[in-house]
Amino acid sequence: MRHTSTFERVLRGTAITLVILFFMFPIFWIFLMSFQTNETILRVPPSVVFQPTFSNYAALITGKLETAAGSLEINFMRNLWNSLFLSTASVAVGLLLGIPAAYAFGRLKFRGSEDIAFTLLSFRFAPPLLVLLPLTIYFQKLGLADTYFGLIWVYQLIVLPLILWIVRGYFEDIPADIEYAYRIAGHSWFATFRKVALPLAGPGIAAAGLLAFIFAWNNFIFALVLASADKQPVTVGALAFVTASGIQYGQVAAGIVLSILPTFALALYAQRYLVEGLSLGAVKG
Amino acid sequence: MYDKEKKLVDAYLRGTVSRRSMIKGLGAMGMTAATASVLVNASATRALAQNGFDWKKHSGQTVKLLLNKHPYADALIANLDNFKELTGMEVEYDVFPEDVYFDKVTAALSSGSSEYDAFMTGAYMTWTYGPAGWIDDLNEYIMDPAKTNPDYNWEDVLEGVRKSCAWNGRPGGALGSEDAKQWCIPLAYEQNNLTYNKNVFERAGLSVPTNIDELVETAAAAKAAMNGGYGIGVRGSRSWATIHPGFLSGYANFGQKDLNVSDDGLLSAAMNTDVSKDYHAKWVKMIQDSGAPDWSTHTWYQVGTDVGAGKSAMMFDADILGYFMNGGTAEAGNLAFAPFAANPDAAAPTPNIWIWAMSMSSFSKNKDATWYFMQWVTGPEHDLFGAREMDLVNPARSSVWADEMFRDKLAASYPGYVEMHDVSAPGASIKFTAQPLFFDLTTEWAATLQKMVAREVPVDEGLDQLAASVDAQLKDAGLG
Repeated sequence: MRHTSTFERVLRGTAITLVILFFMFPIFWIFLMSFQTNETILRVPPSVVFQPTFSNYAALITGKLETAAGSLEINFMRNLWNSLFLSTASVAVGLLLGIPAAYAFGRLKFRGSEDIAFTLLSFRFAPPLLVLLPLTIYFQKLGLADTYFGLIWVYQLIVLPLILWIVRGYFEDIPADIEYAYRIAGHSWFATFRKVALPLAGPGIAAAGLLAFIFAWNNFIFALVLASADKQPVTVGALAFVTASGIQYGQVAAGIVLSILPTFALALYAQRYLVEGLSLGAVKG
Repeated sequence: MYDKEKKLVDAYLRGTVSRRSMIKGLGAMGMTAATASVLVNASATRALAQNGFDWKKHSGQTVKLLLNKHPYADALIANLDNFKELTGMEVEYDVFPEDVYFDKVTAALSSGSSEYDAFMTGAYMTWTYGPAGWIDDLNEYIMDPAKTNPDYNWEDVLEGVRKSCAWNGRPGGALGSEDAKQWCIPLAYEQNNLTYNKNVFERAGLSVPTNIDELVETAAAAKAAMNGGYGIGVRGSRSWATIHPGFLSGYANFGQKDLNVSDDGLLSAAMNTDVSKDYHAKWVKMIQDSGAPDWSTHTWYQVGTDVGAGKSAMMFDADILGYFMNGGTAEAGNLAFAPFAANPDAAAPTPNIWIWAMSMSSFSKNKDATWYFMQWVTGPEHDLFGAREMDLVNPARSSVWADEMFRDKLAASYPGYVEMHDVSAPGASIKFTAQPLFFDLTTEWAATLQKMVAREVPVDEGLDQLAASVDAQLKDAGLG
């Protein structure tokens, strides 16, 4: 067994601390900013000592923002709800459509399967703005513009290729012999898929779902172009604090804290699956 | 409204009761100051309803607006009930943050969407929207007495601002020419002048600069007195918005232009003259000596935030940015305003302006009803309400600037603002040449300024290179 020297351990500890500081400091600073007024945030030089205030969170939750130019109405909680609804529904639809498709692409080799899979992946290549203009015209004609249904449909451009390609890899990593053995025991194709393939690929599906959720959550442009103000996600809503009469840094920070909470909570919960999912298929001794 | 309240408001409008007494009286009747303000305008709206115009012609119809998150939009929304009462129409609106607002407008217009009937826009943007056929020429409405109420008083809109919203669509065509189309109607506008921290100026014994040389010197002296801050805030990001505020206002004051227009209508670069090079050299030196250390990232927000936080001693930017920063910031109440003519031989300042205006979508299916809304929101009553009671500053109508109550409100909290406006307004207009490459060429101009400030290229050489590049692009586009 290899022993690490004290020097090595100290060096490793220092390196890890530096990396954590580097990545966590901006988040920590934003967290502190969310409890400060604009005046304390903008003081020169900046300081970590301040009188904490909950006014930023109160403004976001009550929807009333007091600025130099008077009282402004904001719909941040509505934006947060929109993000939550659009991302969850899109991922649910994406999983429903993507998992069987991924299984088909991974297990059943059929004519044109690679071409179809690549075509689906190519949806991720096109810059959203390129497809949005024709989409807007079609959506208006079909009556899908400014509807949650239409948005969830368009969000499939983000989540479906991601789920399909990630989950396909996991299905391919499961030894086919396990499924054959189950089929020989007299079970149907669908039962094999449900009872064997799905549980084995579970961590991978969770990881893909989580990633798809994060991508959907961070999307900005689809709702902006295709929907009106009451259906905008948090990524658009957060910009409401950047106004002609000044940037409300405190509310921006509180908005960031609130908007990362759902993905943060989900990531914490799904961490176990994520690690399992990412290490699935690794050679074990 | 109850009779008692009505009578009190009418008495106030007749001048027999002071504003304070009216608000106190309405307060005793259980009304807030904000409600009182809307009631005051309700009375003005009642007067408007009696001007013989058929305000109810489109009663029951709905218009939908696309608005930018801005105090001007807040003023509009606050007064909307009066419009509904006047016309019997419904108004729906979508408000989007400014950062993404024009993306939303462009997407809606370029897809031919009929969702929005009218929208807020900047005058520069209409140089794209107008020739593309996305917005209507509003002259046909303004000039039609059957469609426009007799009290609209179009000539009351400040001439420079009114003309800056009109263009004939020919590259290089003069704004507001005889054959120009009125692409938008101003809600309010910004002039570019000086906002300075009077405490810093007093402490350091500085006087307000009156030309570019004094500006460079004062900025340096202010920086020395700032104890860690910097002397002057001007924009510096790689964007057209860096050229249009203080920089172009000073530049135009020397009679300089961005482009020459030949007799046969061809365009060529005009920014490498000797006078221009001299002005650029002074501007660049001012930023190098006394500007923000991270000047090249500075936009509207950083310039304003820094003067409000006391990090800079003054700024040469939009007057309304100073207006906003004089409340709710660390330096609230310490900011003062002054007109600025960069050229010592100039009779008065010549500020370039930004205008927030309303345009009508060509795809609207409800144009006559939309015009009813547009003439109300750009009319004298709403302009006066916004200026007196909200932050519709600077109002675009001369009658509002003559209103004593509005002038008193400004004079009380914004020292020098009224005088600054009065001195600058006659020379205030858009100083750019209207042409389709406006955003590209102006952004390149800002990029050249960045190189000059970073000492990557000398001013003379940089301007010659810029002029050559601009000429080549104009030729490529068939404009030069």
